[in-house]
Amino acid sequence: MTDVAKRDPKLVMRLARLGSMHQSRLSFMRILTRRLARENWRFEQSAFEIDENGVGHAVYTAHGPNSSYSLIAYAHDLPPEKRSDRVIAEAWDATFTLFDGVPSADDIERLSLNIPVQEAGRVTGTELSVSRANRSVRLWEHVVSELAEGRQPSTAKIEDVGYLMRTTAVYGSGKLGAADREMIADRPEFRVPFQVEMLSVYLTRWFITDLVQHMADKRATKNGSQAARLDPGIARSIGIGNSTGLGMAPFLLNHPVLFNNWMAAREQAIQAVRAVQKATEAEIALFRDMLARNTQIVETWHSEHPIQIEKLAALRGDVGKVTEYLTGADLGADYPWDALYTWAENSLTLEGQEWIASLILEPYGELVDGFAEGMAADNTATFRIAGAMKIGDLRVLLKDIYGWAIETDWSTPASKARAWYVSEEKLEPRLGERFEEPIEEYEQPLAPGRDAALLYHSLAHWSDEAQVANFLLRHPEHRHVLRRVQIVGRAPYAEIRDNTISDRVLPIDMLRCKLSFFGATKFDPRSDRWVRICMYENAPLPYELTSENADFWIFPELERAAV
Amino acid sequence: MSHSLNEIEAMSKRAARGAGLSWGLAEEAAKGTRWLSAFGFSGAGMLADLLEMNDRIPSIDVSPVSLSAEIWHAPTRRMSPLIAGASLSDCAVRLMERGLITMENVSLPLLSVPFMGGAALRLGVPVAAEWESARLATDGRQVCVQASPDALEARHAEKLVFSAPAEMTGRLEPMLRADVSEQNWNRLSAFAHRTFAPATEESRLRGAGAGLSDND
Repeated sequence: MTDVAKRDPKLVMRLARLGSMHQSRLSFMRILTRRLARENWRFEQSAFEIDENGVGHAVYTAHGPNSSYSLIAYAHDLPPEKRSDRVIAEAWDATFTLFDGVPSADDIERLSLNIPVQEAGRVTGTELSVSRANRSVRLWEHVVSELAEGRQPSTAKIEDVGYLMRTTAVYGSGKLGAADREMIADRPEFRVPFQVEMLSVYLTRWFITDLVQHMADKRATKNGSQAARLDPGIARSIGIGNSTGLGMAPFLLNHPVLFNNWMAAREQAIQAVRAVQKATEAEIALFRDMLARNTQIVETWHSEHPIQIEKLAALRGDVGKVTEYLTGADLGADYPWDALYTWAENSLTLEGQEWIASLILEPYGELVDGFAEGMAADNTATFRIAGAMKIGDLRVLLKDIYGWAIETDWSTPASKARAWYVSEEKLEPRLGERFEEPIEEYEQPLAPGRDAALLYHSLAHWSDEAQVANFLLRHPEHRHVLRRVQIVGRAPYAEIRDNTISDRVLPIDMLRCKLSFFGATKFDPRSDRWVRICMYENAPLPYELTSENADFWIFPELERAAV
Repeated sequence: MSHSLNEIEAMSKRAARGAGLSWGLAEEAAKGTRWLSAFGFSGAGMLADLLEMNDRIPSIDVSPVSLSAEIWHAPTRRMSPLIAGASLSDCAVRLMERGLITMENVSLPLLSVPFMGGAALRLGVPVAAEWESARLATDGRQVCVQASPDALEARHAEKLVFSAPAEMTGRLEPMLRADVSEQNWNRLSAFAHRTFAPATEESRLRGAGAGLSDND
């Protein structure tokens, strides 16, 4: 073993770097598909009762070794003016729930009154998630009309958009009355976070390919002709979109232990691979293959947003440098991955560094996949404040973790220009201008840097020997952030070490970080606080899943992209 | 109506914040209400009682004057069970050293019980709470109840004694769902609503930062 240390949280937990993260072997989608294949899950469409207007329901069931789970999909005929990706929308093209088991006719009937209205409905402990999706108007009509005319849709158009529908919210863990995570967290298939949501989305993508075919068939029949069958290769290239706003950003701040465990798993994986002394021929070959395939994702990644356009140009430059480096590098030498990573840290932009950090994990499933088991979190133990902690020790922690915040001049308007709040309109999370809008009294506790600095200054006249319990009795206003400091003291990757309320904060950095853990690619910001992504692009459909294609589908095959 | 525990926790946190508690104390109120609900107690209803009783009053008025006093008491002779309970959890080590922590004039004493669950987990031994004809003990995971329903829902305890280590004679397991009456849910909702910014056209357009059209 060489003494490769884990990367310092002070380096890793900066917004610009978190906003440059890429999917890896430890992404939740890939963890799911590997398990489904390994355990030979069986999939069936058990109902598809949808009329010529696209209205009705369908059921898709996944049978695992111990349990079955069913996606119940409700399809609607949505007037175009109602189509919105925002939380405040009230109708959708399709709505879904992942049901624990196989639903009865009564379940389907009961849920048909609740799922289509989403937040206005109620579900029960047998429902594991509630979600909805809207059509990509551009691609949907193209695919339906081409198939109905007997032709295959344009692969260029599909590549341009990436998906037929995009989900606009996937609620799990007790929302709207659904099962709490605690009810299912001890099932092996759900130990890793977000597996319910990832399974729901994976089955949703299957439903959408069936629905688009169904609509094409109906249209062709009406015209007295027969529709073409969507080519399986083309179907596989179609992912499912996701449109995500600000709701996801507070998640990382509100679940510090969970966030730590995700980040720590990836950092442990990076450390373990950098510590590999000798790479085998097969490992080197696999790495080079995945690198070439991954390069295609970068090449076909489009965004119209100025920030992402700039980041993409930098990433493309980095990929060029990596290719050049690898032409000369001897990956057969000692510690090749540490050398590659170290070179990347010194030579590439943050996008390129994180791209390499994820990519070197690819040949080492046996070494790194086990870290996924540590990605969940039970918050019970970390929630309690250690009241016997001495103020002196608290001060040391604060200076170490929040040194940057203590040195920030929080009296300048720019340092706290924004405030996070929740609107009474369907409880949509929003970010406002503190000095321009009447929102400050509704501010959510999502500025740990500022709050830690306030705590630090409030402690100035307290003796090192005093106990935290006595301080908190006098200062309940610091209880939230003090708890946080103690958590981060034990879980160093739990905290974003940057200003989350400055005039320059980009919430999309937080969204990107979380979505990269889901396994998303091709991040396409619509603004500084809104992003669209593609999930499961190039993944085998559930019925095509095998242990051969369950892992590396994320990287498009070289032949296909050459078409 | 049957609610998930996460729903109860989220609602309780917002409601407590809406009633003027600090975010940190609101988090304690939320965890406590969740804990009580999981054991079938009317956590949500009692939290609503407390928030109505202490609506927007300064926390310091209903906090213990001192944590080293022989008997903990609040200057108003009406101690908040949330603040007393959070302090008890913060003083878990002291509770073990002293064996007993006695409090006087605590409102809705049952609301302080979840905090001794936290203390029990920290200490690794069961902790008990006793007031007029009620005794509850917990190791943090299960609870032992010896009390009449009336005593459990007492509005005020003249004397409340926490002790560790304690005996557990019976064991009640937590559940993963809870029933909250519509009335109690609405009472909490009224407090929670105060934490939401009013809907304005400006906020709707700027705050979420979405594009103008998703019809593409």
